[in-house]
Amino acid sequence: MRVALERPTVRVVGEERTVLEVRDAHFAYVRSRPVVRGVTIHASPGEVTMILGTSGSGKTTLLKLCKGLLVPQRGDVRVLGDEVAAPRRGRLDPRVAYIPQQLGLVRSLSAMENALVGALARVGTLPSLLRLMPEPEVRRARELLGRLGIGHKAEEPVHALSGGERQRVAIARALMQDPRVLLADEFISDLDPLTGAEIMSLVRDAAGEGVAVVMTTHEMDVVREHADHVVVLREGETSLDAHGVPDARAITEALRR
Amino acid sequence: MRPPRGSGRVLGVVLLVALLVSLADIGMLDLGRVVRGARNLGEFAAAMFPPDPSSLPTLAEAMVETIEIAFVGTAIGFALALPLALLASPVLFGPAVTGPVKLVLAGVRTVPSLFWAIVFVVAVGLGPAAGALGVALYSLGYLGKLLYETFDGVDPEVVEAVRSVGASRAQLARYAIVPEAANGVLAQLLFMFEYNVRASSIMGFVGAGGIGFYLLGYIQLLRYDLLLTALILTLAVVILIDRASALLRRTFLFPVSPPAPGE
Ligand SMILES: Nc1ncnc2c1ncn2[C@@H]1O[C@H](COP(=O)(O)OP(=O)(O)OP(=O)(O)O)[C@@H](O)[C@H]1O
Ligand SMILES: [Mg+2]
Repeated sequence: MRVALERPTVRVVGEERTVLEVRDAHFAYVRSRPVVRGVTIHASPGEVTMILGTSGSGKTTLLKLCKGLLVPQRGDVRVLGDEVAAPRRGRLDPRVAYIPQQLGLVRSLSAMENALVGALARVGTLPSLLRLMPEPEVRRARELLGRLGIGHKAEEPVHALSGGERQRVAIARALMQDPRVLLADEFISDLDPLTGAEIMSLVRDAAGEGVAVVMTTHEMDVVREHADHVVVLREGETSLDAHGVPDARAITEALRR
Repeated sequence: MRPPRGSGRVLGVVLLVALLVSLADIGMLDLGRVVRGARNLGEFAAAMFPPDPSSLPTLAEAMVETIEIAFVGTAIGFALALPLALLASPVLFGPAVTGPVKLVLAGVRTVPSLFWAIVFVVAVGLGPAAGALGVALYSLGYLGKLLYETFDGVDPEVVEAVRSVGASRAQLARYAIVPEAANGVLAQLLFMFEYNVRASSIMGFVGAGGIGFYLLGYIQLLRYDLLLTALILTLAVVILIDRASALLRRTFLFPVSPPAPGE
């Protein structure tokens, strides 16, 4: 009894339930210049994985590989055991949410409509073309926007929102997908520290509900405060892959060539 | 790569020679003819003044019909162009689909609306319906191209983001491509309507309705004073529509660039 209690259960769960698995992935936009060169990463539910690397080291490319927007030329990317790559122009897996660097919100649509975009995979083609979203989805999106602190801006077009408000809309859209993995590219880089901290706590909440968060960043403060798992890329290769409290020295070392 | 030195001057000389040869070929270097032409133009201009407003009520009615032709033609053309432009968009379809659709649009666009109007006069008889159909077909070809080019210009990040939620192609069109291109689409539509008002004003030349019937008639009757009235009316309407569309643009367009970070 006593022995069982002392077992580090968290670790067992983490190992058994890797949701996102990148195995020896290779990718090159141009054949002669490989951008991702044999990267292997595991991301676990409840953890925030931060990917660091100097500009051009392949962070964005790696996230797109994780989403299935790009297909690795060697190796594979699996989410809950399924390959994420979709046929060209085919439907992608909604269990993986992706927030691109500029957020990718539809500027002429309202915050509410952008949040509802996250539900599209569950809505039939005809009703969604007529913009007839099922009532429960609408209720959920409204509630979510409220919880994220922008309930009062739900009907505002996105182009009229501030940077921080937009990021909340992007989170709402992602959470509407019921994601198991949340990929975010340089998510809070454009925000002031205070708003950034608020947004990060929302991301942490998502992780707390069992989402595997994978985000790229440049900011060491953010890494120190929020990362459970740090991966450093250098010219498309993993130069550091560390769990637990990040070691700033080791990271700086890994970033340098 | 810089062009070799002096090649600019050679090109200039070649163009000048080509211009002179062309001018001679089409008879514009014939001095006697130029002088005669200038004198005729002078007489023509003199005969226009003062404009005779007596035909205004008739002309106003014809002008309304002209605008209706343009309006209906633009609307039908747009309704047909939108789905075809989506089919021609490489974001949504492969070259096996986009290629043929682009070819069809190019084919339709090659034929001027006046010629389409003649075809429809034969098909549905004289009158504004033929004019509207002619305008519609030309608009289809032209708008189709403008629209798929606008769709191609949609921010790829938005497309990727909406694809990422697991949206189907139809949903991608409805929730990313069309709304993101909305600014451009509205601008193209207004441009097309303005263009079509001008095109519709000569539909009457081939019996396809509108003020063109009178423009042609006054020329044939040598009633240049009445012609001037009709031209002034057309000009006034074109300016009015220009203003109205500027207003529409200001009212409906949303800013394209995101606000500065930290705003
Ligand atoms: N669409 C593309 N076509 C060709 N090359 C590309 C493309 N996108 C990125 N690259 C190249 O791939 C390399 C990695 O780019 P990537 O965007 O993944 O880097 P990153 O680590 O995200 O950089 P940053 O921190 O500046 O965002 C760069 O050298 C870039 O020039
Ligand atoms: Mg990047």
